[in-house]
Amino acid sequence: MNAAVAQSPIVSITNVTKDYTLGKVVVPALRGVDLQVHPGEFISIAGPSGSGKTTLLNLIGCVDTATSGVVSVAGQDTKQLTERQLTHLRLHTIGFIFQSFNLVSVLSVFQNVEFPLLLQRKLDKNQRKERVNQLLEQVGLAHHAKHRPNELSGGQRQRVAVARALVTRPQLVLADEPTANLDSVTGQHIIDLMKELNQKEGTTFIFSTHDAKVMNHANAVVRLADGKILDRLTPSEAKRALAVGAEGH
Amino acid sequence: MGQLRLLMQVAFRNLFTSKINILIGGIIFFGTLLVVVGGALLDSMDSAMSRSIIGSVAGHLQVYSDDSKDELSLYGGMSGEPDLAVLDDFSRIKPVLEKHPNVKTVVPMGTSGALITSGNTVDLTLARLRDLYKKRAEEGESPALRANLDSVKSHVRQMVSLMEEQRNKSRELLSSAAVDPLEVEALARARTDAFWDTFEQDPFASLEFLENRIAPQLPDGDLLDMRYVGTDLDSFQRTFDRMEIVDGQPVPQGKRGMLLSKFYYENFLKLKTALRLDNIKQERDLNQKRIDTDPQLQRWVKENQTQPREILFQLDPIKTGQAVERLQKVLGSKEASLEKLLSEFLTTTDDNFDTRYQQFYAELAPLLELYRMRMGDNLTITAFTRTGYVQSINVKIYGTYQFKGLEKSAMAGVINLMDLMSFRELYGYLSPDRKAEIAELQKNSGLKAVDRANAEEALFGEESGNTLVAEATPGLIEDSKAFEGALGSLRRDDLASRVYSQQEIEQGVALSAAIILKDPEQLQQTMEELKQASTAAGLKLRVVSWQQAAGLIGQFVLMAKLVLYFAVFIIFIVALVIINNAMMMATLQRVREVGTMRAIGAQRSFILSMVLVETVLLGFVFGVGGALLGSGIMSALGSAGIPAGNEALYFFFSGPRLYPTLSAGNLIAAFVIVLLVSAISTLYPAFLATRVSPLQAMQTDE
Ligand SMILES: Nc1ncnc2c1ncn2[C@@H]1O[C@H](COP(=O)(O)OP(=O)(O)OP(=O)(O)O)[C@@H](O)[C@H]1O
Ligand SMILES: [Mg+2]
Repeated sequence: MNAAVAQSPIVSITNVTKDYTLGKVVVPALRGVDLQVHPGEFISIAGPSGSGKTTLLNLIGCVDTATSGVVSVAGQDTKQLTERQLTHLRLHTIGFIFQSFNLVSVLSVFQNVEFPLLLQRKLDKNQRKERVNQLLEQVGLAHHAKHRPNELSGGQRQRVAVARALVTRPQLVLADEPTANLDSVTGQHIIDLMKELNQKEGTTFIFSTHDAKVMNHANAVVRLADGKILDRLTPSEAKRALAVGAEGH
Repeated sequence: MGQLRLLMQVAFRNLFTSKINILIGGIIFFGTLLVVVGGALLDSMDSAMSRSIIGSVAGHLQVYSDDSKDELSLYGGMSGEPDLAVLDDFSRIKPVLEKHPNVKTVVPMGTSGALITSGNTVDLTLARLRDLYKKRAEEGESPALRANLDSVKSHVRQMVSLMEEQRNKSRELLSSAAVDPLEVEALARARTDAFWDTFEQDPFASLEFLENRIAPQLPDGDLLDMRYVGTDLDSFQRTFDRMEIVDGQPVPQGKRGMLLSKFYYENFLKLKTALRLDNIKQERDLNQKRIDTDPQLQRWVKENQTQPREILFQLDPIKTGQAVERLQKVLGSKEASLEKLLSEFLTTTDDNFDTRYQQFYAELAPLLELYRMRMGDNLTITAFTRTGYVQSINVKIYGTYQFKGLEKSAMAGVINLMDLMSFRELYGYLSPDRKAEIAELQKNSGLKAVDRANAEEALFGEESGNTLVAEATPGLIEDSKAFEGALGSLRRDDLASRVYSQQEIEQGVALSAAIILKDPEQLQQTMEELKQASTAAGLKLRVVSWQQAAGLIGQFVLMAKLVLYFAVFIIFIVALVIINNAMMMATLQRVREVGTMRAIGAQRSFILSMVLVETVLLGFVFGVGGALLGSGIMSALGSAGIPAGNEALYFFFSGPRLYPTLSAGNLIAAFVIVLLVSAISTLYPAFLATRVSPLQAMQTDE
């Protein structure tokens, strides 16, 4: 863990604000956030609804830009990058897991997982096949390679999504409420899977969640409220804090 | 490579999952079908018609004088005959054109028209009678001649009584002249025994009375419009190999003479009753029409029933008797009046038509002159020369001809062929010997110039009556008798039997010349080169393609094509709008999917190609489907042929059936259009798709 801290951070956020403008109304979603995430971390972002979790993940995921402040991912200041370069960065450095799985419905499980590899154009056909099968094996869907997403359960679909996010061996995987559309047991399995991959491959995970049980698996819980980071806690601290919070209410 | 495969896979799978795509596919399918079938049909028609035009009179190229006011229009223009300047000397033009290596033959031509009258039946019979009396005056009377004279005389007498009968029955049947009391009196006189008893005392005076006072009362001499092409007949026949002689024989080389078009001969010179029977038969056999349902057929039957006059007048008493006898037998009737018998016989129904038709040709036809003109007859053609004189010449009819495949085409069928010498005279060009003849005649009689207005009068006015078929040249010579003079007739006989040398035929005016090329593919280029060559040789010529030379008809297919392309254009504009809208909807439906791909790392260019590949594939799949069905239809049509329903279509189909073919060009054109339309109509939706933000992947609404 200490070794990881010593490395340069994969995500470095400094004094970032993000305002949404709805007509004439300016909604401040983030108001001065600082956050450093180091390689190999498994971080949960917690906070009440509207606190800015999704906004923060979008900034880290390079799908949105900050109003002010610096967001750098894998050592690159995202402000300085063109739209093409941002896309390139997403493709090669970041994996995404979505709340509603977001698989391409007309493609098979195999093809969905293969998709980012095809975009990357780094591996040849056999290498891709090997890699995809390996990932499907890891998420336990080796026998479902030929299936279409609509033939799978929600949990299975999210596992395909996990495989897709990890198939390119990204440094960073972002997941915005990956378990929100799943029942708690299945959600648990997905988090277990993510954790397992984090430990085995050393992939950095940042995910947001409402669920306290899900938070337990994280190395650190970043608590957001009203667009600001409250604190950065260990899971047990967070559990206590939440319990206190619950008593307080 | 993998990416393209992925694109194809996404596109292919999307193809049949979306209803919108099926709709777009349907439009593309029918669009392609239309382009393939319509395009192929028109192309086939185009090449069929070009065969018709090139193979009948136009050749590949036509040249004519650049001084012409109008453009050449071989089949007649919008406002009658085009005003062309003459090519003074064809023999000067020919070598210049023939020097070009791609020119096979050059045929001189001139197209013009004239009015001819076939003369009425009384006239023709009187002319025969006059000939017989002339013969008697020259050779003396023989028993055979006497019998002949008596027979024709009684025929004339029968005609007079028929006329009287008809006049009493229905005044409309006779021309207005017949109401004139003087005419009534003349008719009455011609009916008296006294007239016929004293006929022989001065047969020529009696004939003159009948010719001048009686014949004009019968209005059955038709004025016929006749178009003719004056040409080097020999060269024409060799050059236009679709031409074939049907009746008679070709005009012997170098001689004056005419070949009537078989179509013209059948449709304008045949006995009307027979023509109507032929028409009914054709409609029944070919087009499955029925007398009891088709008003046109009923009209023909009705006309046959009520207009037996042309038959009655033709028959002399002996033949009348034979006809009565035969019809009585056929009909099992005791009726004695030929008119009533004919009317009954010609009352044809769907049940008896075929027997009656066969009986008509077996029993009645041998007694009749089925055509107003026979092979070997002389036809007198009177025409306005360019200077406004009226020129009239006799031309021998040698035969009839037709263009293979265009037998039934009215368009090609109205062209009668004439030797170039006669044509030049009618056109007002005088050959050296003709000039000499006229100079001689002018010495003998005063020359009266006739302008166009007077010429009309001179031609068709009272004096000339209905006897245009005469040896007179009314406008040119004051006294028509002058032509009857020994000199005139001698010259005429001379002209008719004269053989002209090729040099004589070629040295003189023509209005245009048809050029046949060795390699028709190089038409455009040869045309340009011939233009240059003629300019270089100091000839002021216009060189035009067969298409331009054919005038309006040549433009027909072009116009049909424009209509088709316009229709296709409209359809594709509509398709464009529909596809565009449908693709917009499809894109909106897929915003989340596109957003996801963008988030995962797909560049905008990937999204653009994804949408384009999808539409192109859509266009391809349904386009191929449409093209396949189109080819299927075309090959079915190609082997069965499309029947030319009416005679106008014969020309465009170049025969009774069009066997359309599908060229690779049609398919390629259809393909290019379809792919272009689908690609264009997707550009905007595709652009919109590239603007989808990766943030839209996060939308949770499902
Ligand atoms: N596209 C947007 N336009 C305008 N305002 C927005 C937009 N997205 C988020 N916001 C606002 O920004 C603030 C932060 O929203 P965000 O979605 O980041 O919260 P969150 O913590 O993810 O909430 P939740 O737990 O409900 O997902 C909220 O007040 C929200 O209303
Ligand atoms: Mg959120």
